[in-house]
Amino acid sequence: MATVELRNIRKSYGAVDVVKGIDLEVADGELVILVGPSGCGKSTVLRMIAGLEDVTSGELLIDGTVVNRMSPRDRDVAMVFQSYALYPHMTVRRNMAFALEVRKAPRAEIEERVAGAARMLGLEALLDRYPKQLSGGQRQRVAMGRAIVRRPKVFLFDEPLSNLDAALRAQMRVELARLHRKLGTTVVYVTHDQVEAMTLADRIALLEGGVVQQFGTPDELFHRPRNRFVAAFIGSPSMNFLEGELVRDGDHVAVRGEGFLLRTHPDRLGGSAGPGRPVLVGVRPHDLRVVTADEAASFETTVDVVELMGWEALLYLAFGDRTLVVHSDAAPVSGLEPGRPVRLAVAPEQVHLFDAETERSLAAPVETPSPPGGGPGRG
Amino acid sequence: MTDLQHPHPALPHGGRGAHGRRSRPYVGSGSFLSCCPFFLITLCAALPAGAEPTTITLWHAYRGGEQQAIEESIRRINGARADFQIVPVAVPNAAYASKLTSALPRGNGPDLFVFAHERIGGWAESGLLMRLETRIDEAELDRFFPETVEPLRFDGSLFGLPMSFKSDVLFYNTSLVEHPPDTTDELIEVASRLTDREAERFGLVYEVASFYHHAAWLHGFGGGVFGSDGSVDLETPENAASFAFVRDLVARYRVSPEDANGALVTEMFNAGRAAMAINGPWFLGEIGDDVPFAVAVLPVVSETGLRGRPFLTSEAVLVNAGTRHPELALEAALALTSDDSALVRALEGRQAVANRAVWSDPRLAGDPVLAVFRAQLPETVPMSNRPEMRSVWEPAQMALRRLLRGAATPEQALTSAQHHFRILTRPSPPEADPTPYWVALALLAAAGIALLWRRARASGVVHQIRGSLHAYAYLAPTALALVGLVFAPFVVATGVSLFAHRSGEWTFVGLRNFFWILSARDFGVTEPMSFYFTLGVTVVWTAVNVALHVSIGVFLAMLMRDLWAPVRGVYRVLLIIPWAVPNYITALIWRGMFHSQFGAINDLLELLGLPEVAWFSGFWTALAANICTNTWLGFPFMMVVTLGALQAIPRELEEAAAVDGAGRLARFRHVTLPLLKPALLPAVVLGSVWTFNMFNIVYLVSGGEPDGASEILISEAYRWAFTRQEQYGYASAYGVLVFISLLIYSRMVRTVTGEGKA
Repeated sequence: MATVELRNIRKSYGAVDVVKGIDLEVADGELVILVGPSGCGKSTVLRMIAGLEDVTSGELLIDGTVVNRMSPRDRDVAMVFQSYALYPHMTVRRNMAFALEVRKAPRAEIEERVAGAARMLGLEALLDRYPKQLSGGQRQRVAMGRAIVRRPKVFLFDEPLSNLDAALRAQMRVELARLHRKLGTTVVYVTHDQVEAMTLADRIALLEGGVVQQFGTPDELFHRPRNRFVAAFIGSPSMNFLEGELVRDGDHVAVRGEGFLLRTHPDRLGGSAGPGRPVLVGVRPHDLRVVTADEAASFETTVDVVELMGWEALLYLAFGDRTLVVHSDAAPVSGLEPGRPVRLAVAPEQVHLFDAETERSLAAPVETPSPPGGGPGRG
Repeated sequence: MTDLQHPHPALPHGGRGAHGRRSRPYVGSGSFLSCCPFFLITLCAALPAGAEPTTITLWHAYRGGEQQAIEESIRRINGARADFQIVPVAVPNAAYASKLTSALPRGNGPDLFVFAHERIGGWAESGLLMRLETRIDEAELDRFFPETVEPLRFDGSLFGLPMSFKSDVLFYNTSLVEHPPDTTDELIEVASRLTDREAERFGLVYEVASFYHHAAWLHGFGGGVFGSDGSVDLETPENAASFAFVRDLVARYRVSPEDANGALVTEMFNAGRAAMAINGPWFLGEIGDDVPFAVAVLPVVSETGLRGRPFLTSEAVLVNAGTRHPELALEAALALTSDDSALVRALEGRQAVANRAVWSDPRLAGDPVLAVFRAQLPETVPMSNRPEMRSVWEPAQMALRRLLRGAATPEQALTSAQHHFRILTRPSPPEADPTPYWVALALLAAAGIALLWRRARASGVVHQIRGSLHAYAYLAPTALALVGLVFAPFVVATGVSLFAHRSGEWTFVGLRNFFWILSARDFGVTEPMSFYFTLGVTVVWTAVNVALHVSIGVFLAMLMRDLWAPVRGVYRVLLIIPWAVPNYITALIWRGMFHSQFGAINDLLELLGLPEVAWFSGFWTALAANICTNTWLGFPFMMVVTLGALQAIPRELEEAAAVDGAGRLARFRHVTLPLLKPALLPAVVLGSVWTFNMFNIVYLVSGGEPDGASEILISEAYRWAFTRQEQYGYASAYGVLVFISLLIYSRMVRTVTGEGKA
């Protein structure tokens, strides 16, 4: 159990800057997920925490101690690799016991801990098998078992679920959540899958281009994205974007674009939001409603494709020269055919506004100096 | 390879002739050229007699001036004769003796050949030489010095006509030595004055460990090889006294380097660091033009008053008993040894010819060097031409070497030499009845075929083969090559191991050879030259070498792995070079470096203030020298294998181990090494088989020193076959035993690792 702190961490390979100044704080027992597209530097950050890469500049602290110069073995972190990195010439039992054997722990303790981890992960029957005799999911659990046995200060997960099929992935996500609740160890977790991030994390650090785009709870990233990138990355299907400009609409500020005029909510406007300002409007597919009557601040689109998926549906609508995506229950839209005009409306508080140039959200940025509730996250 | 111990020099230094040029690269293919005249002869024989002159082939190993001289004299002879024409064939002298030994018995050899007298006994016993005394007039022999004719007699018959004679004389550098010493006391005094060990200058430099060159002292002290009853008797007090003298030259008066080979003698004499040398006429061609020298007759031994008498070699023309033209061949031989021919050889070839009259020719009288050889002639002892003489060299030289490195007193050395000689000349095992062997072979063959047939029928192999006949057709050439080059020789060798070979005779002896070898009949089990001792040495040799190869190779590979790529490329090339250089060159260089007096290794030790080591005088140090050389040669292979195998180990595994808490060493031991094993194991097996049979290094570096202790099985087998009078059967038995040992070893490896883990 420990805190992890990154202070202005930078990493360069020669002339190439991969990580360009990252500040993060992971509280004791928190599960923080580093998420972002490939090449954003998240694995590099994780490897720096593990000690497998040098920190070019900045300070890395684990449990209050600066560990920049410390070798991996002294940092008391346990890492689960994307490819599991199980020792192929050792049995499952030995794989899990290896770290303790290397530190010369007493035999009895090794056996006890290995048995405990095996029980926790359902590996008892597999202890004498070799990695090549295990399935992908089993190997993944052995890799986790190897980390658990060590009872380290911090767990580091490097995309542990990406090599699993969809069904298994979902199942393992749940297991991971349970494990975290049970063990309560600090976790730094890297993934490119935003669903994992949203479901598992206490807080998410969304990285892009070597920089943290936003660091906050899943809720914050979902409802109050700081910039267009965060807004587009989080949420599936992705947010719809339209160009427009702020205008006066009576006492309110509205946003007008080609074919629409939408009302805004003060929360979304921030301080210096004057009329005439060019903005980017973002609306999540889930927040767009199909309306039958001509509601105020509704606009017309044409049906392009309807995807019915049992209880829910995805509507692809042509609007000007773009396509909008709507996510709704199946019932109201089941009868729609391509080519039919459809009116959409959205609640003002769900209209996200971003500066057209900087792409930053107009809403006041949400700072999270300390984690919410200050303890292990939701299960 | 001039520094190899040459136990039975036909002519020391391989018969370079009076001008002793080093062997040129292969001049002419003896056997091919010998075939041409052969066909010519058959052609000529088919023609009516008298129509064409008969071709008489003459083989010789002359070079340079001597070659020109003999060709000139042949030209003159051919010009004067219509009934025959002599065709000379120059044979490379390194292979000369063995070519003759193999060609003569099969009627493929020449009509005449020039050779030193020493092999006459053996060849005469095998019926390869024509007896001359019944065909020529005794008066013909008057023109030769009697000393040169006597060595050509054997068993009451005369077998050759002398052409020239050779012996050691005393060479000295006239700028250092004014007046050559006439007694050994003077010799020691002069040599001591001119010796400065710090500057590596010695008063007397010669191959002290060579029995051939030791002959002068042997006879000077009243000793000799043969006793009064005509058998070899080395253990005499006179011989011991001569040994003591040589030991004193090296260890007490310290005027001679303790281990000089021919090349060293030449180098030192030419550099002016040797005031005097003892050598034969071949030395003349090696002395540099700028070295002022003269020759003198060898001194008198002060203790006995007898003059030092070196071995005399009578170089003669011998007649092949199987020649198709006996009378004409004899005529040609007489013409070659006529006074006219001899004069040509004396003037142009600077040979010390055997013809007496030539020496009074005024043109010859002015040659001071030849005059000394002439003066030495009466003070020489002809090398015995009896077959036993050939078996004296190896024991005698070993005894000298032991003496000189202080491992034995003169008496002890000679006793062991006599013992050794007795073993080398023991009679072959009694003939055995081949019938039980034939029966056993037939039964085995039948059983084998029956088993194979049954298995083939059962597994449907025959059907399978029929289905892919063309595939087998493609494989056929390689299979044939393998059969011809590997299996057939193997089968033949196994067959040969059931025979004993002595002087051209093959006797079937069944498994006696094996029995003798395995029962350690001749040597105690713990003595060198016993099979078990040599086996033990071979196993230790193999184990230590492979262990070093693997550890150094793996270590370097691990270091190189983390190097920056261009640097790694450079190092990879550098570290492969030891493997790429032909290993016999490497072996010879290392041998030179381990030389106890002039070698680089001892120079380095001296520089570091450490005591010098006489590398080849002790078993462990000689073994260490061999191992050092072989390791230098062998580690690149393991390094390359490891580098390749390392690429296949994912970095993540080592990272995981690092995070798990394993330090460098633990990571290597628990993660890297187990994953290297599948690649290293075949390499280790291969490496151990190669090392087990690494003949080159053992033969060339330590040469089996001391006293054959550092020989391995394969080099020991070589000696039995090629240096101990062609005991092919015994040597083949050794070979079969080597094969069996390796078979057992590879089986063991398979069992041990067969059940191994991933």
